[in-house]
Amino acid sequence: MASVLLPVSLLLGALLLIPELFGDFVAYQIGLYLIYGIAAQGLGFIWGKTGVLPLGQALFFGVAAYLAASTLKADLPLVLTLAISGLVLCAIGGFAFLLATLIFRGRSESGPYFSLITLALAMIAEQIAGTATSITGGFNGMSGFASLGHLDPFGSYYYVIVGMSVGVSLLLFILNKLPVHLLARAVLDNEPRLQLLGFPTHVIKGAAFAFSALLAALAGGLFASHQGIVTPTSTGFALSAELLILTAVGGRFHVLGPLLGAVIIGWLSAELRDSFPYWELLMAFVFITVVLKAPGGIAEVCEKVLARFMPSASASRQASAIAAPSRTVQAPAKLKFHDVELKIGVVRILNGVSFETPASGVVSIIGPNGAGKTSVLNTITGNLRLTSGRITFGEDVISSRPVYKALNRGIARKLQVPSVFASFSVSENLTIASLAGRVTLADLFRFSTVRWRSSAISKVLNHPKVPLNRLLNEPVAHLSQGHRQFLEYAMTVAAEPALLLLDEPCAGLSPDETALMTELIKQYQETAQRLVIVIEHDMSIVEAISDKVLVLHLGQVLAFDDYSSIRTNPEVQAVYAGGTK
Amino acid sequence: MFKKSVSLLPSAALVAILGSVPSFADIKIGVLVPDSGPAGLFGPSTRNSATLAAQDINAAGGINGEQIELVFADVGVPPAEAAQAALRLWKGQGVQAFVGMHDSAVREALIGRFNGQVPYVYTPVYEGNSCAKGLYITGETPSQQLAPVIPFLAEKEGADKWYLIGHDYNWPRDTNALAKGYISDAGGEVVGEEYLPFTVSEFDSSLQRIKESGANAVLITIVGGASVGFNVSYAGFGLDEQAIRLGTLIEENTLAGIGPDNADRLYSSSGYFATIETEAAATFESSYTDAFGSDAPPLNGLGQSAYEGLMLLSALANKAGSLDVEAMDAVAEGTNWSTPRGDNTLTGRHMAQTIYLADGSGGAFNVVTSFDNVASSEICTE
Amino acid sequence: MSTVLILNLAWQISTLALVALGLAIVFGQLRIMNMAHGEFVMLGAYAPFITSSLGLSPWLQVPVCLITVGSIALLMERSIIRHLYGRMFDSLLATWGIAILMREGVELFFGRGYQSVSPPVSGTVSILGTDYPAYRIVVICIILLGFTALYWWSKTSKIANKIKAMVGNPDLAQAVGINTARLSSGAFVFGCCCAGIAGLLLAPTIRIEPMMGLDYLIRSFFALVVGGLGSLEGLAIGTGVIAGTQTVLGAIASQTYGYLSVLTLSILFLWLKPNGVRSSSR
Repeated sequence: MASVLLPVSLLLGALLLIPELFGDFVAYQIGLYLIYGIAAQGLGFIWGKTGVLPLGQALFFGVAAYLAASTLKADLPLVLTLAISGLVLCAIGGFAFLLATLIFRGRSESGPYFSLITLALAMIAEQIAGTATSITGGFNGMSGFASLGHLDPFGSYYYVIVGMSVGVSLLLFILNKLPVHLLARAVLDNEPRLQLLGFPTHVIKGAAFAFSALLAALAGGLFASHQGIVTPTSTGFALSAELLILTAVGGRFHVLGPLLGAVIIGWLSAELRDSFPYWELLMAFVFITVVLKAPGGIAEVCEKVLARFMPSASASRQASAIAAPSRTVQAPAKLKFHDVELKIGVVRILNGVSFETPASGVVSIIGPNGAGKTSVLNTITGNLRLTSGRITFGEDVISSRPVYKALNRGIARKLQVPSVFASFSVSENLTIASLAGRVTLADLFRFSTVRWRSSAISKVLNHPKVPLNRLLNEPVAHLSQGHRQFLEYAMTVAAEPALLLLDEPCAGLSPDETALMTELIKQYQETAQRLVIVIEHDMSIVEAISDKVLVLHLGQVLAFDDYSSIRTNPEVQAVYAGGTK
Repeated sequence: MFKKSVSLLPSAALVAILGSVPSFADIKIGVLVPDSGPAGLFGPSTRNSATLAAQDINAAGGINGEQIELVFADVGVPPAEAAQAALRLWKGQGVQAFVGMHDSAVREALIGRFNGQVPYVYTPVYEGNSCAKGLYITGETPSQQLAPVIPFLAEKEGADKWYLIGHDYNWPRDTNALAKGYISDAGGEVVGEEYLPFTVSEFDSSLQRIKESGANAVLITIVGGASVGFNVSYAGFGLDEQAIRLGTLIEENTLAGIGPDNADRLYSSSGYFATIETEAAATFESSYTDAFGSDAPPLNGLGQSAYEGLMLLSALANKAGSLDVEAMDAVAEGTNWSTPRGDNTLTGRHMAQTIYLADGSGGAFNVVTSFDNVASSEICTE
Repeated sequence: MSTVLILNLAWQISTLALVALGLAIVFGQLRIMNMAHGEFVMLGAYAPFITSSLGLSPWLQVPVCLITVGSIALLMERSIIRHLYGRMFDSLLATWGIAILMREGVELFFGRGYQSVSPPVSGTVSILGTDYPAYRIVVICIILLGFTALYWWSKTSKIANKIKAMVGNPDLAQAVGINTARLSSGAFVFGCCCAGIAGLLLAPTIRIEPMMGLDYLIRSFFALVVGGLGSLEGLAIGTGVIAGTQTVLGAIASQTYGYLSVLTLSILFLWLKPNGVRSSSR
């Protein structure tokens, strides 16, 4: 906890000293920068972690500021004012959550469209604030109200701002220690993998956006009380851009970065604006330099300098905790394709595929390139929506459902090119996988959940030949292809799914590693009589592991039988005689 | 080339001259100018005019015998930042009075922060209806710019079908509300009224409406660069033959941007033009040119208003014998003073002044007529 | 619909398409969120003043515009932009800084004041019973011709195909011998030059000052994302939707409603059709 309490108490101490050392007026100025800093911290949270960049944060800032101003104008008792503020914050957070969740539903990237939607919303708000003169006071703004609790904006109100600012920083530091933080970062790192692990990423992004909106709104409310006036500029494009700059220059990856950015830039521009005619040019240069040379902003530079003087505490190995039981469906069931067709544009990928697997065993899918093997897996997990037909697993229709629902139905998948969280360590990857299908919302806010290790993973790790145990603290980026295959395999079985989909699990492995992988697969299948579907090119592996073999050709089932029958099937021979393996 | 640095040099030189007598500079006056943002265009001429005013005030013995020193702050930023800049001067540098040339949102923010504790003169054209304690206004309000002018144009140009077009905010709406009364008093009618968002830079549909309305006069309260764009398109469509234009915020820079081809029968109503042919105005212009060079940013009503503001402040403070708000308030009503604009009187904390009507045809303002001692309908009683 | 409304529509759509074309290349193809796009339009609009301050003949305005805009764009691409391919949001931040530099730079040379340019063709012409500014008709015709030529070029040229290949798969394109560095810098400069030419063509009809670029930036972005990145047809649809809504609603209701509707419509398109009305075939 020292890593949380030390910076927060330093911050609190520094902020409390300001009025003593520099007087009330400087404190008043710093107060404004802290308010912007709070909004920027929210922006830094969503942008730095999930990679989603909202361009219209002033929307929440401004709307909250107007609502705060109207509430203060009514001059209600303090308790009532605070209660209304709480309601407003909840409403704004709820709106932001709904907005982002709806927009991101069914998508797995954070393209510029969301950024532009938020920008357009802020522009609409600014226009309405300027036009609806009778409600908002128009361009001249809404003014004529006392600050919260009739505190002196040049005096005691500063401590309210400091309290909020320190509180928000503390909250953000704590969030960094919680599993939610891992999930938020995982969205940026590898969203498709996170969806396959059963996490509805649109909800994660919605929650992150709601949190950032909440902080922007909190800042807006503080702003109204601090300034005594709210104008349309508080809700438009310019303030949104300003917040973005503060966040980028300060450093979006660090809790205190945006706060630092707000105070440093705010202070510099107030000092230089009137004495240095080219300060805007200077700012532009600083800005370009930060983007090119220090994407982590001032905070990153500071951290590097600090790291030189203070050797970082060696990463202490924490004992792992046993994960909660998996809630994914584990009962063996038959997978059945009913006349499945799949078209992408004008290209027909699957042409009426029908088959039914046994409830347990290893089924290999083989076929020449372009036969539709990976597409079959994509239709099972929901990555591709069917053109017609349906797929059932047990009693349930599973086709054309969102990807994140597959895991809860007991379906887990390893991708063709190993797909792991490349910017995380091996152990963090395993933690995220251990949460899959097990974690509840409440668990996400417990420190101990970070140490979860699923028993299925432990089983893989404890196998004497599996190389991962001594690599736990390595960044995944340093791992070889073979090691990544084992890591992704371990992550895929973590939730103990009833149906395991493996797309070329042995690609890039040495003969020894191949033997190990096939052994692991066999073992997994046999322990609970589960179903495993493997795409494989190497016939010796197919022969070694398969109970049944599905041969695809041109998007159709050519044969579905045991290995020896397939080998002697003249049609299959005809296809493979062409020279492809 | 490098106009910005060229324009900065002479004023820097002048500041150096003024700064060479710091032992006499006992009173600091804060001058709030827009150096950045959309009104940044008016920053240099405002600074220069204020500098000239300080020179003249000090030459005449200063305020209550003490020399004044100007401290500038950029307020071409959002209200929160502008208020901070002003507070820095007040709380940080000991400024005792303010003169401000900036937009209304900043004014409202400043009123809230000053709280009547420091004299504050607001100088640009504005919509009226601001009567905070300690606030004095030299800027023209809509009633001054329109009440004498609309009947005059009805007479001279036969303007009786008016189309009112402005940006969608307080100043144009308040201006037009008054204009309607003056138009009907002059026997005219309003054939259209329209407000545009600040973000719109295409005016085709509005121009089409003006054309179809059969208007023979258009009252323009579009501000800033959009006013240039509007007037260029207006003439491009040949509407200048159909209807005269009257603007209450079209000054020298805007006219230069509109260009000589597009300014036929474009009237502007203001308390100041660089081309006013009175002795006081001519003297002012020549000392401006002497101080800042012939290449200096052109004089205009907004920039020059800072001179007016400082002169009012000096007149009031000298009359009251102090820069205390209460003392100034007690003697404010009826204060007389003369400036390049003419003879002025303070009534209801607004400035009754000469209003000039100029025709921009050919790309330069030619003063058509003037109306002496026009008082504002805005009266602050307390 | 009256003739004027149709002509206004043609003017609005064609000029927006012209302004957005450069961005369609830089953002649509190279995926650089160029916030300095409007500043290139601004630079182009200043070309007549650059020409006259150098004492050159007005006939040289087009080459002067291309040389000025092109060299600045090249400098910018070589020094900054080339580090930002594939980093969309970083490109947004860096070009925002560049936009400030360009505005301040122009202000240093020409001052903050407004400039005016006389149209080479003045007066109005009578078309189908209505008077319309002659210069606008000329510009609409030039834009139509230009886009026809560009459409034909994009369907036949090897360079256009190489750009498409590069966008689709940069590594593969490099592997088959396409010099992607040179191609991207060429495409970037070309996109910026389009913006410059747009500024030069529009100069006699608009206000000219260092801050004017912002007017063109956001509308261009919305037009592009509504239409869909990566095709001329998408650009046409996007500008049609954006400029069409503003013009028609501006005519029948008010400009404020027009502006709000454009924003609302953009939100709906971005939400429901994030890849544009005409999603690129990839």
